[in-house]
Amino acid sequence: MEYVIQQGLNALSFGAEYALLALGLAIVFSIMGLVNFAHGEIIAVGGYTMVAFAALAIGNPVIVMAGAVIAAMLASLTLERVAFRPVRKADPTTGLLTAFGVSIVLQNVFLMFVSPRPIAVTSLYFLDWPIEIAGIRLASLQVFETLTTIVVIVALMLFLRRTVLGLAVRAASLDFEMVRLTGIKANRVFAMAFLISGLLAGLACIFIMARRGSVDPHLGFDPVLKAFVACVVGGFGSLPGAVLGGFLLGAVEVAMLVMLPQSLGGMTDAFVFMIVALILIWRPDGILSPAIEKGDKL
Amino acid sequence: MIRLSQSQRSGLVGAALLAAVLVVIGVATLYFGSRYQIRLVYSAYVNLIVVLGLQVFMGNARITNLSHSAFMGIGAYAAALCVTPENIKKISLPAAPWGLADFSLDPVLSAAIAIVITAVLAFLLGLFIVRLTSIGATIVTLAVLVIVHAVFLYRTDIFKGNQAFFGIPQVFDLGWVVGIAILAVVVCRLFRESRWGIQLRASADDEVGAAAMGVQIYKLRLIAWVLGAVILAVAGICYAYFLGTISARPFYFNHVFLTLAMLILGGMRTVTGAVLGTFLISFGLEGVRYLETGPVLLGIDLPEALGLSGIALGAVIVLTMALRPTGIMGNREIETLFVRKTF
Repeated sequence: MEYVIQQGLNALSFGAEYALLALGLAIVFSIMGLVNFAHGEIIAVGGYTMVAFAALAIGNPVIVMAGAVIAAMLASLTLERVAFRPVRKADPTTGLLTAFGVSIVLQNVFLMFVSPRPIAVTSLYFLDWPIEIAGIRLASLQVFETLTTIVVIVALMLFLRRTVLGLAVRAASLDFEMVRLTGIKANRVFAMAFLISGLLAGLACIFIMARRGSVDPHLGFDPVLKAFVACVVGGFGSLPGAVLGGFLLGAVEVAMLVMLPQSLGGMTDAFVFMIVALILIWRPDGILSPAIEKGDKL
Repeated sequence: MIRLSQSQRSGLVGAALLAAVLVVIGVATLYFGSRYQIRLVYSAYVNLIVVLGLQVFMGNARITNLSHSAFMGIGAYAAALCVTPENIKKISLPAAPWGLADFSLDPVLSAAIAIVITAVLAFLLGLFIVRLTSIGATIVTLAVLVIVHAVFLYRTDIFKGNQAFFGIPQVFDLGWVVGIAILAVVVCRLFRESRWGIQLRASADDEVGAAAMGVQIYKLRLIAWVLGAVILAVAGICYAYFLGTISARPFYFNHVFLTLAMLILGGMRTVTGAVLGTFLISFGLEGVRYLETGPVLLGIDLPEALGLSGIALGAVIVLTMALRPTGIMGNREIETLFVRKTF
């Protein structure tokens, strides 16, 4: 029984990280239909900011964490301005390919101007210590991560439901032209979406860095690939779907780690992706997306 | 005698023009190129076949495919496993199951087996993929790429994972690959102008409309998907038959993005675009790689700049998408640049 609870909590914290990342992707997708693969590089920007603080001998963890989050938000805003504005009206495939291009450019910029090798960042190790409650062993990081995700979900819900800009963001995901006709500036809505997306990437960055303790140009690629999958499985562009997909993916991944025999250890990713593909074949638009008939005018 | 339509006749003219370009580049390299340059041009031609295989499905059905490098890898490994002599396989794959190390076949038979294996796998996967559209289909192809790569890495007893699978006899030279590339160009172009190709392109423009006119979208997508996979398998075979060693790494994300950038730059809707994009990026990247090493240009000692080629590749994708989303060629094939349309 303890073992089951233990693994359940592991799944929850895995899922929390994926949900955090998936929300960042989904909020952008819901508004402009862009699959933002460059999200991973935003995370890396946060990581390199921590390196910069370490180089400046600033060890205060609050400054380091706040700095990383702010850097990620600024990077996200900049990308919207520079790269994604021209493809704002294009179809999802064009956006997807643009995001891939941006992601390749940024990875190589890190490689060229910083270093192709991993750089150690030790300033966040203090976040991680073992906890034991009633025979269940946990890392404090897992608790922080799950709590942060819950706070983020609640805050995001309040923002989207209780503020005018939040209402505009939600409306924009349904009918963008109509929102503009009511006098809300399109650029502000887009900027807001990317700002939130950058904030979520910055928060995820803190946890990823605290766990890995180093940053390299490909830091964000794998987590975002998983988050992307979570989004699609949950129903692309649906925020509850992103959260559901994130936790589902966490559960599947932990289940695979637990149930697969040791000899198949290298195949975890293959099995995870296989399950994802099967879910998509079962429900091509994801689990929580509304049923749309092809040809419906949206 | 088969009667060809107007567009099919102009398709043959276009294919012939492209073939002439391919022959000129190939012959020029054979006569004037160094060993290194011949290798370089050979790999450009292999990538050209990959991009053509990608164009058949992506250009006509307009569904972004990310699994093409995986099919190339399947073709390459299947051919390599068949053609490598027993005595070498005994050394390199001592633990190979199912008697894989106990036989070897001649290159033609090996290639045929590799193509059949790839086609069957593609057909089975295609049954599911053709039912999906846009992002959903793209994710499933991404899943295929990850799964195939994981299998290559995991079954080291068959594929040797990231280590080199060596001892493949060198069967092809530049002349062969030029010939095969020309064949691929003709096949792609004829498919594009065929009844199936036109119906498939119509379904990409308006899925519901085409279905209402009686186009069997799933069947056509499946045909294009399998044809594309066969061409990709051929590309994999060309790769293995020239280099002599293969490993899992070249059949993963880097190669996917490289070939995708080629197709996007040239324009995925046309065969001409595929050819143009491949050569522009192949030769352009070589120039950038030269700058990467930090050469002395015009008396200025440039610094070493690792990553410059990656930046260039990404920038090409971003700029093409922002300025000309349909690529350089758009909807135009090569012959329309010379012949004025009369209707």
